[in-house]
Amino acid sequence: MSVVLDYGWTLVLVPLALAGLVALVGRPFGRFVPALAILAPSWVLIYGVLTLLEGPEDALRAGSVDWLTSVAGGGLTVGWAVDGLSAVMLVVVGLVAALVVMFSAGYMAGEGGLPRYYAALCLFTAAMSMLVIADGFVGLFIGWELVGACSYLLIGFWFTRPAAANAAVKAFLTTRVGDVGLLLALALLWRDVGDLSYVAVFAAAPELSAGIVTAASLLLLVGAIGKSAQFPLQIWLPDAMEGPTPVSALIHAATMVAAGVFLVARSWPLFSLSTDALAVTLAIGGVTAVGAAAAALVQSDIKKVLAYSTISQLGFMFAALGAGAWGAAMFHLVTHAAFKALLFLGSGSVIHGCGSQELEEMGGLFKKMPITGVTWLIGAGALAGLPPLAGFFSKDEILHEVIGAGPAWAAILFGASLFTAFYIARATRLAFFDGYRGTGHPHEGGWSMRVPLIVLASLAATLGFGGAWLAETIGAHHGSLDVKVALASTVLAILGLLAGWKVAGVDHPAFTRAPGPRLAALMRSGWGADAFVQRAVLRPVAVASRALYTGVDRRVVDAVAEGSAVAARAVGKTLTSLQSGDVQWYATMLGAGAVALLALVSYIGRGL
Amino acid sequence: MSLASIVFAVLGVVAVAGGITTVFARDVTRMAIGLGAFLLAVAGFFVYWGATFLGVVQLFVYIGGVLVLMIFAIMLVHRSPEGSPELESRHDVAAIAVAGGLFFLVVTSLRGAVPDSVDQGISSGTAELTDAFLGPMLTHFEMGGVLLLAVLVAVVVILGGDER
Amino acid sequence: MSVVIITVGLFCIGLYGVLTRRDLVAILASVEIMLGSATLLLVGLAAAGAPLGAHEGAVEATGVMVIVLAAAEAAVGLALVISVARRFKTTRVDELTEVKG
Repeated sequence: MSVVLDYGWTLVLVPLALAGLVALVGRPFGRFVPALAILAPSWVLIYGVLTLLEGPEDALRAGSVDWLTSVAGGGLTVGWAVDGLSAVMLVVVGLVAALVVMFSAGYMAGEGGLPRYYAALCLFTAAMSMLVIADGFVGLFIGWELVGACSYLLIGFWFTRPAAANAAVKAFLTTRVGDVGLLLALALLWRDVGDLSYVAVFAAAPELSAGIVTAASLLLLVGAIGKSAQFPLQIWLPDAMEGPTPVSALIHAATMVAAGVFLVARSWPLFSLSTDALAVTLAIGGVTAVGAAAAALVQSDIKKVLAYSTISQLGFMFAALGAGAWGAAMFHLVTHAAFKALLFLGSGSVIHGCGSQELEEMGGLFKKMPITGVTWLIGAGALAGLPPLAGFFSKDEILHEVIGAGPAWAAILFGASLFTAFYIARATRLAFFDGYRGTGHPHEGGWSMRVPLIVLASLAATLGFGGAWLAETIGAHHGSLDVKVALASTVLAILGLLAGWKVAGVDHPAFTRAPGPRLAALMRSGWGADAFVQRAVLRPVAVASRALYTGVDRRVVDAVAEGSAVAARAVGKTLTSLQSGDVQWYATMLGAGAVALLALVSYIGRGL
Repeated sequence: MSLASIVFAVLGVVAVAGGITTVFARDVTRMAIGLGAFLLAVAGFFVYWGATFLGVVQLFVYIGGVLVLMIFAIMLVHRSPEGSPELESRHDVAAIAVAGGLFFLVVTSLRGAVPDSVDQGISSGTAELTDAFLGPMLTHFEMGGVLLLAVLVAVVVILGGDER
Repeated sequence: MSVVIITVGLFCIGLYGVLTRRDLVAILASVEIMLGSATLLLVGLAAAGAPLGAHEGAVEATGVMVIVLAAAEAAVGLALVISVARRFKTTRVDELTEVKG
């Protein structure tokens, strides 16, 4: 076991090195870049699989390096530890990243700046690995920030487009708000525990006061909310769709946004001690799940549908966490990674074939792009929760656990499930069925784009049966299937699918129809979240900045800076006047000096 | 008031008046006259205090030599069509401060130096003077001679050159 | 004591003149005042009985030396003034500014 464990550091350094290599040799060796880049996530995948095969230990500290040691004893160490939870995450990250690189080879062919793209993907792999295998909050935080930076780089890949550049900044800043919470949590923990490694923190957790535990947990939650685009920090994810679609699949569906869920799961020994934090998590998860699902009902851009869907599904995971079922949350994280990545890559294939992202301009693609069509259907079914696909099992477990924690929220989640089936059916029909409404020549992509779809579709179909194994591997509780819940959710799913199908067929654009144009417009804009932030946050900040600029920066700071120059000049001028060339002035100064000296000697001398 | 006091007072007034005139006169001629008055008063003081030889030397050398020389220089230098030109002063606060400060400091410093006794006058006469010059102050005496020689040469050099 | 006040006062008046007068000759005249008043102080203090100097005749001798020096200084100074006046056509101090800087 220790053989695998000892080499944990390669998980970070190998992708890092590859990132550098790709960035350097990308230009002349453009052809080979994807092949080179795929090595990074492949290594992560292999390592994760090997670890799982070996049966990982529960050890949470394998190899570590003293990073900073404080004088007062205790410091910050950075190290790695691979247990069941991190091994599973490694497999998820490695697999999806590898498939995304493969898909990009076809999708992004011919684009400019590709070395930068692949280098960023490798960097992301390194950062995500670091986040996942860290043995303490320090390593986690480093990885956390790095994935945020990679997200920025990749969303803004086509930075010459203002929309993309703005989206990248928006994503970064919004997650930053969350990161502040995370940092405060770390500070709090360090102050009270003295050591930020998981072992130390979890050992000390039961001894800490309830107030501290709740505070730290809530602050960790803030970080998770930012990264996982939950309410109220969800505004960045829809805009992040400006990035290339493979990026959306990897970062904004399967891995980075899941980091928030991972954070809470990882911190479970601490987090679970605070019932208040759990309650808040449940509430936020529920609100987000249903709100985002509603917004997805009326979107016209296929990627935006999937973006809101992601936010909603993450809400499900958060609700599961809040209900105390972190195993269920992780299960859903894994299945969601499979089918959401599948859907995104499928949409990528569609976009590649049609040349458009708007559902209006699609239609009838099932005939023209069969592989994409079939795999899409599997993914859509998994998302809607149709048995025996993966999503059914994981979603059901969540619903079951949430009922136990709070029936009201469970009802809300059922509603969200209804919406989920509705919107995905609508999107599916609009994109793949009826006649083609667009102006392009839809065609299937090359093998590099087909293989990932097939792989992911197989996973989406079968992963559901691995629930028990997963729970055991990560050391969580696994609830057995509740027949009543399963039945109810399946019925709801079918109802939702039929309704969505119907709506899509009635009139398109059906967005403006039901339930009313203004409400639909509101929902489409994500319930006016952007406008709200603009008015409540951005405008006051802009006003305050301008006031500070004129009031403080110009008047005070510049005055001091320029003032010192003016003062220097004035002093200089005064001193120059002493060199006037006027001998009598010199003599006067001489006399003054003599008088002063005389006075000094007379009076002070006498005093002594 | 004794005769001595009156003499002392008159001499003092003349000296101060002469000094003030010299420093503040606008007119060159007036300045020269002021200087002359001052120097005369100084000579008077010397005699009053019993340093007769000194007073006579002052009369001959200072007034008869330096003052005359100054008047010659004035005549040579101040050539202008409208009679005697204006002399200006730049009245300067700093200068007043310096002069005033110095006055105050020196006077307060010297307060202890002056014995309270009545003017006795100097107890020396010409004989003691000669003894001094040929005794402890021999060097001074000789150097004085050399100095005067040097000055003679210097003046010839300074003024002899250009104007041919 | 009145001796001290008058004498030192004259000295300071002369000093003020040196620092203030615009014309070279006037400055020289003020210098003469300073010299004269200094000698006056010396002799006056000796006359009042202050213990000055080693030898009996030293005070008077010093006074003679001062006069000699004053004469020498006046001679050279005035020679310089005449030379300057020839060269620069002015004896006003504020017009003689080549040292400025």
